[in-house]
Amino acid sequence: MASSDEILEALADYQIQCNENKRLRRMQRDWSRLLHFVADDTGDIFTMDVVKGEIVSFTGGTQGTPDIIVTTQSENLCDMFWGDLNPTRKYLAGEIRVKASQEDVIRLDAITMIIWPDV
Amino acid sequence: MTTLKKVLKMRTVISTSAGMALATSCYLAGIQVATILVGEMAWISILIAGACCILSALCFSELTAQYPTAAGIKLFIQNAFNERTAIIIGMFYVLLGICMVGAESYLLASVLTHTIKLIDPLFDRFFWMTIFILLVGFINYRGVYITGLVQDILTYAMIAFLLTVSVYTFNRIGIDMSSALTSPKFTLENIVNAAAVGVFLYVGYEWVTPLAEETTDYRMIGRGMLWAIGILSITYCAFTVAMYTGLTKEQLASGTTIPHILFGRNLFGTPGVIFFALMSILASVTSFNSGLLNTSRFAYAMGRDAVLPRVFSRLHPDYATPWVAILALVVFALIVSLFILFTGQYLFIIIMAAALECFIYVVMALCVIRLRRRFPDRQSSFKIPGGYTVPVLTILIFAGLLLGIFMDVSRDSAGRILFANYWVALVMAGVFLLTSLYTFGIVPVLKKRAAARSQQSAKRRPGRKSEA
Repeated sequence: MASSDEILEALADYQIQCNENKRLRRMQRDWSRLLHFVADDTGDIFTMDVVKGEIVSFTGGTQGTPDIIVTTQSENLCDMFWGDLNPTRKYLAGEIRVKASQEDVIRLDAITMIIWPDV
Repeated sequence: MTTLKKVLKMRTVISTSAGMALATSCYLAGIQVATILVGEMAWISILIAGACCILSALCFSELTAQYPTAAGIKLFIQNAFNERTAIIIGMFYVLLGICMVGAESYLLASVLTHTIKLIDPLFDRFFWMTIFILLVGFINYRGVYITGLVQDILTYAMIAFLLTVSVYTFNRIGIDMSSALTSPKFTLENIVNAAAVGVFLYVGYEWVTPLAEETTDYRMIGRGMLWAIGILSITYCAFTVAMYTGLTKEQLASGTTIPHILFGRNLFGTPGVIFFALMSILASVTSFNSGLLNTSRFAYAMGRDAVLPRVFSRLHPDYATPWVAILALVVFALIVSLFILFTGQYLFIIIMAAALECFIYVVMALCVIRLRRRFPDRQSSFKIPGGYTVPVLTILIFAGLLLGIFMDVSRDSAGRILFANYWVALVMAGVFLLTSLYTFGIVPVLKKRAAARSQQSAKRRPGRKSEA
C-alpha cells in the first residue's frame, strides 16, 4: 500500500517527465482536462490539472468537477506515475477503472507509452 | 464520490446502440427475412429475433454492470474463462466483424452506383467502395469523434423517417394479410429460419457497452440496449413489411441489392431515390465509423498488451489516434470489399454476421453463468432476475439459431439457391482455427519479448532500482 506522500512524490516526477517531453506536449497540445485519481484501498484522492498538454498543478484531495476519474489501488497509482507500470495491461485486467470518454482513455495511456515505451 | 463533468444521457445510449445496428445492409437483410417467410408476415420473425436479442441484452447488462469498461467483451471472457480464450474469441469477433464492412460498402456502393452513374457499374462500385472506406478511415485517423448530440440527431431522424414512410405506405397501398396467412411458405420452420437471419438486423446493438465509462449509472447501458432493441424491432417490422409491399413482383424477383432505393422510387420518384441514398450514406458512415473506432482501439490495446505486434500501439504524433491499427483495419476492409466486389457474395457476409452474433451471445450467456459461479459474492448494480433461466435460455435459443443458420441454404429474393450455409460454418471455423493458432503460437513469443524489454528498463520508483 502506497502512502499519500509516496503518490505525491511520484506525481511530482510524473509532472516533470510529462512537461519536459516535447513529443508528448505536441500530441497533447489541445488536451485540457481535470483528472481525479482515486486510490480505492486507502481512500486517498488526487487532483491533476492538465492545460493544453501541460500538467499545471496536482494536489491531494478533490478539486473541481473532473473530466476523467481513474480508480485503482494506491500501489498501481504510484507505479504508474513512476512509469513502472503498463496502464493498458492493468486496465484490460480490470485493475484500473477509468470513467472518461474513449478518446481520453487513449490519451491517458499515451502519456506512459510515449515517455516509457518499454514498460 | 465525484462525478464527471460530461456524462452520457439515456437518449444518447439508446441512439448509439440503435445507430450501430442501423446500416444499409439492414434493408437487404429485411428483404431476406421477408423472402424466407411471407413478406407481409416478416414482422413475426423480426419480433422473435428482437425478443431473443433482449435475452442477450440482459446478459450484456449484467456483465457490463460488473465490468463497466471499454475492454468489455475481452474482460468478461477473461474473468469467466482465461486470457487465452478471451484473446481467441476477441480477435475472432473483431476480424469477422470487420468483414461486415465489406458487405456494407458493397451495398452502399450499389446504392450510389444506381443513383450517380460515372463510367460503368463495376468501376463505379469499386470507386464508391474505396471512397467510403477511405473516408471513414480518414475520419478515424484524424480523431474526429461523432458527438452524442450528432449521434442522437442522426439516429432519431433515420428512425422517424423509416416509420413515417412505413405509415405512408400502409395508408397508400395497404397490406393483404389474409393471403399471406394461407401461403405454403408460412410455416414454423420458415418463421424460425427467418428469425435467425433477422438477428442480423440487430447486429452491433451491444457495441454501446464501451460507453459504460461515460455514464453515471452503469444500469443505463442495460436499459438503453433494451430500449434500442424495442425501437429497432418496431422500425424494422414496419419498414420491412412496407418495403416488401411497395416493391413490384419483378423487383422482388430480380434479387436486387438496393430494395430500399427501388422502394423510394416507386413511392416518391427521383426525390425518393435521393432521400433513401442519403439515408444509406448516413447509416453506413455512422455505423462503420463507430465500428472502426471500437475495433481500432481494441487492436491498439492488444498491441499495448503484447497480444498483437507492438506496431499496433503506435499513436499519431498530432492526433493521438492509433493510426497503424486504423490503417491495418482499413486495408483488411478494402480486401474483403474487393473480394465481395468480384464474387458478389455479400449475402455470405450477412449470413456470417448473423451467425457471429448468435455465437457471441452464447459466449456472453456462458460468461454470466461462469462468473456467477466463480464470484458468487461479487456485488453488482444489476443481476438478471430468475436465476440461470435467462442465460440458459439465451444459450439454447442462440445455439439453436446458429445451427439453424448453418444447416440452411441461402437464396436470393427470387428463390434461387446461392450457397449452402455450411460454407459459412467452414469459413468461421477456419478463422477460429487461425486465431487459436495465433494465440497459442505467436502471442507467447510477443509476451516473452515484452517481458524482456520491461525487465531491461530500469525501475524508476525509489527503492525498486535494484529490480532493474
